[in-house]
Order: sequence, then structure tokens, then C-alpha cells
Amino acid sequence: MNAAIRVGLHALLLALFSVHHAVADGIEVVDNKQRLVRLTVPAERIISLAPHTTELLFSAGAGDRVIAAVSYSDYPATAKSLPRVGSYDRIDLERVLALQPDLIVGWPSGNPGGALDFLQRHSIPLFLSEPLSFDDIADNIRKLGHLTGNDEKAELAAAGFEQRMASLGQRYRNATPVRVFYQVWQEPLMTISGEHIISKVLALCGGHNLFPNLPRLASSIGLEAVLAADPEAIIMPSSNPQWRELWRRWPQLRAVSDDRLLVINPDHLSRPTLRVADGAEEVCRKLQGEAE
Amino acid sequence: MSRINPLLVLLLLALLLVVSLVVSLGVGSYARGFADLPALLFGSADSLERAVMLELRLPRALSAMVVGAQLSLAGVMMQALLRNPLADPYVLGVSGGASVAALITLILGFSGFWVAAAAFAGAMINVVLVFGLVSRAGDWSPGRLLLTGVVIASGWGAVVSFLLAVSEGQALKSMLFWLMGDFSHVPAPGWHLLVLLVGLLFAWAVARPLNLVVRGALQAQALGVDPRPLRLGLFLVTSLLTASAVTQAGSVGFLGLVVPHMLRLLIGSDHRWLVPGAALGGATLLLAADTLARTVIAPQQLPVGVITAFLGVPLFLWLLNRNEAQR
Repeated sequence: MNAAIRVGLHALLLALFSVHHAVADGIEVVDNKQRLVRLTVPAERIISLAPHTTELLFSAGAGDRVIAAVSYSDYPATAKSLPRVGSYDRIDLERVLALQPDLIVGWPSGNPGGALDFLQRHSIPLFLSEPLSFDDIADNIRKLGHLTGNDEKAELAAAGFEQRMASLGQRYRNATPVRVFYQVWQEPLMTISGEHIISKVLALCGGHNLFPNLPRLASSIGLEAVLAADPEAIIMPSSNPQWRELWRRWPQLRAVSDDRLLVINPDHLSRPTLRVADGAEEVCRKLQGEAE
Repeated sequence: MSRINPLLVLLLLALLLVVSLVVSLGVGSYARGFADLPALLFGSADSLERAVMLELRLPRALSAMVVGAQLSLAGVMMQALLRNPLADPYVLGVSGGASVAALITLILGFSGFWVAAAAFAGAMINVVLVFGLVSRAGDWSPGRLLLTGVVIASGWGAVVSFLLAVSEGQALKSMLFWLMGDFSHVPAPGWHLLVLLVGLLFAWAVARPLNLVVRGALQAQALGVDPRPLRLGLFLVTSLLTASAVTQAGSVGFLGLVVPHMLRLLIGSDHRWLVPGAALGGATLLLAADTLARTVIAPQQLPVGVITAFLGVPLFLWLLNRNEAQR
């Protein structure tokens, strides 16, 4: 029932702010690069050019319309058997054209600009997806749902996600602040900037990213700088024991002496998709030291 | 005067090396004044600052010095062995073999010790390959050796390109840092120091014959030096030095090519001076470059290979023009 109310609310919002223009003679949405994407009928043959867009399409209820995807499109499990058109950074454009898609979902920061330009020149409808916040994830799902005529299913998924994130925010609103180092990679040592969606997950759980001002979403970082910042917790999306050994060499570090080297599931936070909610729940629980 | 007294140059370089070492130990994200250096180095407090000094900055500085000296020394000998000013320690494929093996272990998800071990094994495979091909032909002339090595190096290069092309994401970043050379995870030099000493002793011992060999095999033979065992020795020692260097820090470029020439411009081409001079100069340049690599855009890090060229290119051009102007 709750969901039904939300669907109704969304329909109202649609009418009020005309987020999508569902005009009689076509379907229109604005993508993350502020481009207008217009279809005459809901898309039937979709090619997904990033692992996260494949996942979002399935979440929007359009999984059965995805005819091909790039490598590493491994979630949900059925996506693994999709025909491949290369990897996100090296796309087999000939195969993309040969498959005659009626919608391509691209990833501007991951796909080569030349490939996206080429696809636009061939006037294949192209939706560019670059979710940078929780709202963007929900918004992407609604728009992909709209483009595929799956508004209701997409709305359900998006609203469910929003609700999970909102209740996490509510629950950890007054959580103890923790200074966190999020270790993206070991060699070179890398972390995330404040703009990264993972940093927003940390903030949701009372975690403070120690390096919010780095220029790129993921940057290399000096070990010495991390030691100097003395994090209270270190989160690492890898169960590789070498990653923990690196820190155990520094027993004076707060995170080590307090035994807060937190290993999290690498799959949940690596892409801006609905699984971010699973990742956020795990991060919050581990960061605030709650039992499972 | 275009050449300065070699002894003076050596002393100056040694002084510069000490200054670089002090600066390198004194700066970093974990900011601490130079005044505290002695206490941190020789004190007994069990603090994080002292751990940073002894387990991070000191091993890193020592490694940079050892690798810099190894590559420059290997460069001097390689240029003499091949009688080619464009030769560098990597020209015969040692770093190529090491790169292929290291990148494969990185793709497989290993790090640290295993990558280093694989790099060393890869370098050795290359040595055996080049050695086997050249000695089967029985022709140890510089031309034959150079051609064999360059072609094998190109082969490794193709494999490296292939590995880069089929990798993506974080692993790719690891691979690029390795290829450009990076000291952020190196332990203290350990046995690599021994390799450097062996290389230094060998180069020093063959300094006089080297002076003859660079003029050509015929002339050397006429002056009583049989170039063949010397060439074999040079090949093996430079290979060992290079393998040891890339095992520690990846394939730091540029240094092994340019430091020998810098020293030739400064003190002439007498190998008795050139050998210790290149070792000191290489150690200083790489240490300075690594100090910049970890501080210049801190807390972010650059691979040291980026900085060696940034420092080395203008320095080399200046030396070259200075000599021309004074000729």
C-alpha cells in the first residue's frame, strides 16, 4: 500500500514539475549530460555500455530488453549471459551497429568520447548515465523505466531505494563521527574524493572522509599522508590479507590499535546502482560497530 | 675550461647526495622539522613519527639511491659494451622481460613481494634468451648483441601493450605505476645493495680495459685486451644490475641513458672516474626525483619516472650547451 501511495505521489510530481514529458507522440527524458533523449515508442532493443547501466536497466524492469552489454556486466546473474560488445573502454562499434539497437545507454566518464560521438552521429538514441548521488541513482532508474515503458516497476524500485537510504540517514543521524580512510586500491594506494558516491555513503553513516578535496574521484595518495591523518577506521573493499597487513605494520595507528580495519563487500559500492543501499547498510553497521 | 677536476666533481656529488638525503628524510606529509631528524633517526621513542622515519622514509630513500646508482652504472657499462651512445640499461630487453612477468602477476591480483620476484624471474629469462641466441651464433660483436637485444625488447614491448590493452580499471593503474617506476611500497634495499657493490667493484676493476674497448675491438686487441670475455662480463653484470633495479622499483626510465652522458660532459670519458661518478650522480638524481614525486602534489603521489625526466631533460640540455659554448 505504501508503495501505491508513493507511485501516486510520483505521478503527481510528474504532473507538477514535468520531469518527464510523456507526450502522446513520443517519450522524452533528459539524461545526466542534460541532453534530451527522445523515442517514439518504448525501447525494445537496448545496448548497455557500462556494467552499472546494465544493472540499472535490470532494476528498472527492462532486463529482458537488453540485447547486449559490455564485459563485467555480471549483475544480476542473467546479465552474465548477454552477448558482449567489447569492454566499456573499448567498444566494438561495428557489432553495436549490426545489432540495430533502438536505445544505447552510455557512460560518459567511462566510454571513449569518440565512440559516443560516433553513435550520436548515427542518430541512435543515446542515454548518458553518470549517477553521482543517491538521488541520481533513483532518477536514472525512473528515466530508464520511462524510456522502456516500465514506469511502474521502475518507480517501485527507485522509491524502495530512496526509502532505504532515507531510513539509514534517519537511523545514523546522530551517530558518533568517525574519521575514515577509504582504501580503493593498494598499489598504488588510492582513495576517493568527497565527490565520490562512496564518500556520501560514509557521510550517511557518520564517517568523515579524510581526503575530501582531492581533484579526481579516485586519486593516488601517499601512505605517509594517511599515517599523518591517523584515521580512526580504514575501510577496504577487498578481503586480500595483504591489504590489512599493510596497516598492521603501523600499530600506533588509531584504526589498527582499535582494530577497525573494516573489510566490506567489494561488489556493493563499486557501482552507482541499487546495491549501494546494501553497501551503505554494511558500512554503517561496521563503522558504528554494530553486530550483524 | 670545459672539464672540471674529476675528483672535485666526485666530492661535490657526494656532498649533494648527503644534502639530498637529509632533505628527503626531512620532508613529507607527516611534516616534521629538520631539527628533530637526529632524535627520530637515533632515538628510542616508540612513536608513529619515528616509525614513519625508519620504516617509510629511510628505506625509500635508500632504495632510490641504490636503484639510481645501479641504473646509471649499468648505463655506463651498456654504452661501452654496445659502443652506442643511445644504449641504456633496458635496451637489451631486461626491463621488458621483467615488465611482462610483473604485469602478469599484477593482473592475477598479486602485489608486493610476488611482483618483485616475478620481475626478477622475467629479467633473468630475458638474459638467458639473449645470451642463448647470441652465443649460439658465436658472435659477440656489439652490432649483433644490440640487434638481438633490441628485437627481443620489442617483442616484450608488444606483450606489454597487449597486457595493457586487455586490462582495465584499478589493475591498469597498478600496471602503469609499475611501468613508470614507483617507490611507494619498496622495502629497504637488502641484497640489492650487494648487487650494487658487486657491480661497482666489477666496473671499477675493468675501468682501464673499458677505456680501450670503447675505441673498438681491433684497437683493444692491438693494445692487449681480449674484448670477448670482457663483453660477456659486461653483459652479465649490467643485466644483473638492471634486473635488481627493476625488481625494486619497476622500470624507472631515462636515468640510465642520461646520467652517464651528464658525467661524461662533466668529467670526460675516463671510466675510472666515470664509474663512481655515474653511481653518485644517479643516486642523487633519483633520490631528488623521488622526494619530489612524493611531495610535489602531496597527498597525491606521482610515479618517480615522471619526475626523473622532468628534472633530467633540462639539466642534460644545460650541460650539453654549456660545453658547446665553452668549446
